[in-house]
Amino acid sequence: MNIPNSSTAPAPGEYAGDEVSAIVLDPGYSTTRAGFAGEDVPKSVCPSFYGQIDADSSSQYLFGENAIHTPRANLQIKNPWGADGIVEDWETATKIWEYAITSRLTGTKPSDPTKNGLNDGTNANGDAMDVDMDAVENQEKPLEDSPLLVTEPGWNSAKAREKYIEIAMEEWGTPAFYLQKTGVLAAFASGKASGIIIDVGASHTSVTPVLDGMVLRKGVQKSPLAGNFVSNQIRLIFKQSQPEVPLTPHYMVKSKTQVDAGAPAQAIYRNFDVPPTDSFRRYEEERVLTEFKESVVEIWPGPGRLSNTGNEDIAKSMPGRPFEMPDGWNQVFGAERFRPAESLFDANAAIQDSENPRPKDEQTIPRLVQAAVQHVDADQRPLLLQNIVVTGGSTLLYKFNDRLNYEINSIYPSTRNKLIAPGQVVERKYAAWIGGSILASLGSFHQLWISRKEYEEHGANIVEKRCR
Amino acid sequence: MTSGRDVRDILGLPVGGDPQKTSTQRKPKPAATVRRIQGVAREVAALYGERPPPVAVYEEKKTYRAKRQSTGPAKKWIQQPFMNQARTDGLVLKHWRRKRTNAPPAQDGEDTAMEDGENTEPYIESCGDFAKYNITADLPTFTDEEYDTHLRSDDWSREETDYLFELVQAYSYRWAVIWDRYDYQPSTKSHLAQETTNGDTSQALAALPFALPRQRSVEDLKARFYDISAKLMKLRIPEMQMDADQYSTYETLTKFDPVLERNRKTLAAALMNRNMDEVKEEEFLLAELQRINMAANRLDAEREELRARLDAPVPNPQLSAGLASFTSSQALQALFSQLFQQDRSKKRASGAGPGPGRLSISASDLIATPSSAQAQISANRRQSMAQPPIQTPVKQLSPPQEYRFNVSTHERLTSGVTFGSDKLLKMRQAKSNVQTQKIAAALAELGISEVISIPTSKVGEVFEQLVTKVGKLLDVRKVREKEEGECRVLQAMKERRASEVQQDGTNADDAAHSNTTLTPGAKQVIPDSQESPDRDEDGEDEDAEGDADADADADGEVDVDAEGEEDDEDAEGEEESTRQVSEAMSTRGQSASAGHKRSASVLSQASNKSSKRARK
Ligand SMILES: Nc1ncnc2c1ncn2[C@@H]1O[C@H](COP(=O)(O)OP(=O)(O)OP(=O)(O)O)[C@@H](O)[C@H]1O
Ligand SMILES: [Mg+2]
Repeated sequence: MNIPNSSTAPAPGEYAGDEVSAIVLDPGYSTTRAGFAGEDVPKSVCPSFYGQIDADSSSQYLFGENAIHTPRANLQIKNPWGADGIVEDWETATKIWEYAITSRLTGTKPSDPTKNGLNDGTNANGDAMDVDMDAVENQEKPLEDSPLLVTEPGWNSAKAREKYIEIAMEEWGTPAFYLQKTGVLAAFASGKASGIIIDVGASHTSVTPVLDGMVLRKGVQKSPLAGNFVSNQIRLIFKQSQPEVPLTPHYMVKSKTQVDAGAPAQAIYRNFDVPPTDSFRRYEEERVLTEFKESVVEIWPGPGRLSNTGNEDIAKSMPGRPFEMPDGWNQVFGAERFRPAESLFDANAAIQDSENPRPKDEQTIPRLVQAAVQHVDADQRPLLLQNIVVTGGSTLLYKFNDRLNYEINSIYPSTRNKLIAPGQVVERKYAAWIGGSILASLGSFHQLWISRKEYEEHGANIVEKRCR
Repeated sequence: MTSGRDVRDILGLPVGGDPQKTSTQRKPKPAATVRRIQGVAREVAALYGERPPPVAVYEEKKTYRAKRQSTGPAKKWIQQPFMNQARTDGLVLKHWRRKRTNAPPAQDGEDTAMEDGENTEPYIESCGDFAKYNITADLPTFTDEEYDTHLRSDDWSREETDYLFELVQAYSYRWAVIWDRYDYQPSTKSHLAQETTNGDTSQALAALPFALPRQRSVEDLKARFYDISAKLMKLRIPEMQMDADQYSTYETLTKFDPVLERNRKTLAAALMNRNMDEVKEEEFLLAELQRINMAANRLDAEREELRARLDAPVPNPQLSAGLASFTSSQALQALFSQLFQQDRSKKRASGAGPGPGRLSISASDLIATPSSAQAQISANRRQSMAQPPIQTPVKQLSPPQEYRFNVSTHERLTSGVTFGSDKLLKMRQAKSNVQTQKIAAALAELGISEVISIPTSKVGEVFEQLVTKVGKLLDVRKVREKEEGECRVLQAMKERRASEVQQDGTNADDAAHSNTTLTPGAKQVIPDSQESPDRDEDGEDEDAEGDADADADADGEVDVDAEGEEDDEDAEGEEESTRQVSEAMSTRGQSASAGHKRSASVLSQASNKSSKRARK
């Protein structure tokens, strides 16, 4: 009788959902994702980089995609994350996250719901309009009304974890808080409670064994061979190729004319009174490189490594891929396109120079997986290998999964190894957020929140006890 | 155009009084269409004609959901604050719920005012829907006294034990996780210890036995926990009073052997860490094993078949000629087919030729069900009725008479004339040269001359039987030789293994003495290898005692037995045939068969001897 459609609520027994308008925040090195639990994509995806303009006494901060890509004098682009994959600059990190939440989700100053425009197109921002009029008066904290679930890397330090809850409780005033590891959440997003999660992000690649929704801490492995590393490898290839490949970011080009492949660019460049800082240029170059990664870079899919005899020839015989720089310079990339990412799997293939030493063998993805499995109880290993969840933006590199599959099967030929890699780009990039969205919208999750009262009673180290 | 009248004329209907009739017929029609099917357009209903549609028509109203009735203003949803019963801290969260309509509808006008009033004094729902998911693991508990009297351990401090129990509770017996998170830091003492370790390590160590957190394996943790659980269980419920479930839990708890577990895990890990070559090799070996197993099965089946053949000798139709033998349906079936064959051969002999009268009956029809055979016979009868056969008066001879006059009926006569001696000669020939020679040797052994002087048909028959038996004898001999060879090989293998085991045993013992922790592999080998020879010996003993129902494993034994039996049987059969021959024939045959009999028993004795030798 009751035909389910988008407006009918699912039956209570169908899923244990009971949404409490929780907000899920998944901060990463390259982007910060935020959105309401229960939705299937994060509504707010902001760059984790921020702009800083130092004036005489105070400095001005710029957040968000729209602000930080405009070339301005003395604009520096910075990132609050440290080299070890843990937040370093807490003050600005807090601001970036707050920006990610308030810019799209809660709104900075809730106004009359009928006038603030939030109800024009969408109704998902519903909770913003339902703020009690009484509460509005004394509300100056952004999250007074929404429980908050934050994701953290698997190797987060105890101090950093306490910092998270302090920020959420003290600065944002959230009524309830929870901290969960990205690995677990990515597994949840794929519908798995146990598995090995391979997350290749921007700053770090991590391999996390998860059993029944709990991270096996001894097995967590990380290495810096990830998206940024690949970008760096591309830079080195550009620099070392003859002639050098010019890397000109978009903002420098006023207009361009078409040129033949390999010919020098003929473009009119912009002039700046005060040229933007190096960090700005580097960040803008990074955007071009990401484009290059998306459209040109390919991973040798196996069998064997790229350096194995014969494979280079096969790679050469494959049709190349063209790429055009913002200034019109263009080229067809043949076998070179296999080189930048090969070192994710084979440290010997890394392009080196004086500043970029050869990565260690243990840092390659196959070795990370091996180490992670080795640190897990022998009985659980086959189970984990049956659920290898692949997530993170850099796993979108072309043929990444083929190669990973080959490598894992050659390490563990006797077990049933299965890669779980969502085909959808969004699901791959935002798996941790989506898992958080699922978790925080469950009715059974109500019992797990750390409430403000508990925080006040036990102090910040309650996260250690509760968010195991 | 044809009028109605013409039609009536053609159909031969009466012409008069039509107009009235048609008018009266027309009248009820509109009345019938009044019962219109609801929900169907009139035009569509008209298409049905007078009869109701063959398919049931569902009415629109019943199949689809009713349109939303907009009665009154839109239902209100509010963010209902609620408390979860599973929480003790009174956390209030909000979820979307239909606004409760307590107020009677008459007060609708004041609704907005009421709402504000309600908000000032908020109703907090108590939501217990999900409290059922808040479960904790059951854990055995103990008091300080119990701990002191029963549960003390040299290896574990009280604090660490408590810590372990805490973790087990927190992670609900997920041992892999417990082990992963197990990080016992000896509390206050350890701080002191760590401070002092900087100064004087040895002193601190001596003073505080638990100063350094030791690495514990999952098995250590499990062993401690299970040990305590078992002891507590026994304290609470004496062993005698446990019910089956409890006792089995108790048993598993007490039987936990960390060493065994650890060994199992190292083996499992080793299995997983094999490289590609090893996996391929294993696959290859497994395939090979399967192949060998299949071959062994085939061999067994062949032997089985041979045995079956030897157990049930082909019934001799000549010997069981009496009616008494046709009691079973199978025998009747055989009789049927025999008669039918005779019938057919008669017909062929009568020269019916390939005419229409020929029945096409294949052999498979004959061995079909009796009913089909009967059908065939009845068909045959019909056939004979349609085509009266040329009746040749045949004088029926009784079997003794037939025998006496040496009259024989033939199913099929080959054209031409053959010598009886040729027939006999042909029988001596087997398919292979070797076999032929063997048959010749056997016959020579029995003292049968190469040329038999008077090769009558009966002599031929007897000789045929003799040759088939010789053939069987040779088969059996071959099998026996094969078995003996196998026995010998196995014997040699057994001896070799026994000597190896002795060496291994001593080696492993040495290893066990020298290194207690690294013996898993050796230890596991020892019991196995000790067990298997024992079992073998047991089997051997049984064999030696001459138990008829030896294990199926003892192939050789069973086969040898069967052989012996067969030999006896052969001798019996021989006796019978001998009787026959002696009745009909000269004393020469008698002596020959007697010689055969003797030699057969000699052979069987010899085989028994040899098999006994093989056993030892
Ligand atoms: N289609 C693509 N092909 C290749 N690389 C891509 C693609 N899309 C995104 N990337 C890279 O993925 C990285 C971003 O991935 P992701 O969003 O998972 O990282 P993050 O979670 O922000 O970082 P981290 O996990 O290190 O904190 C960037 O380095 C980006 O260049
Ligand atoms: Mg990430």
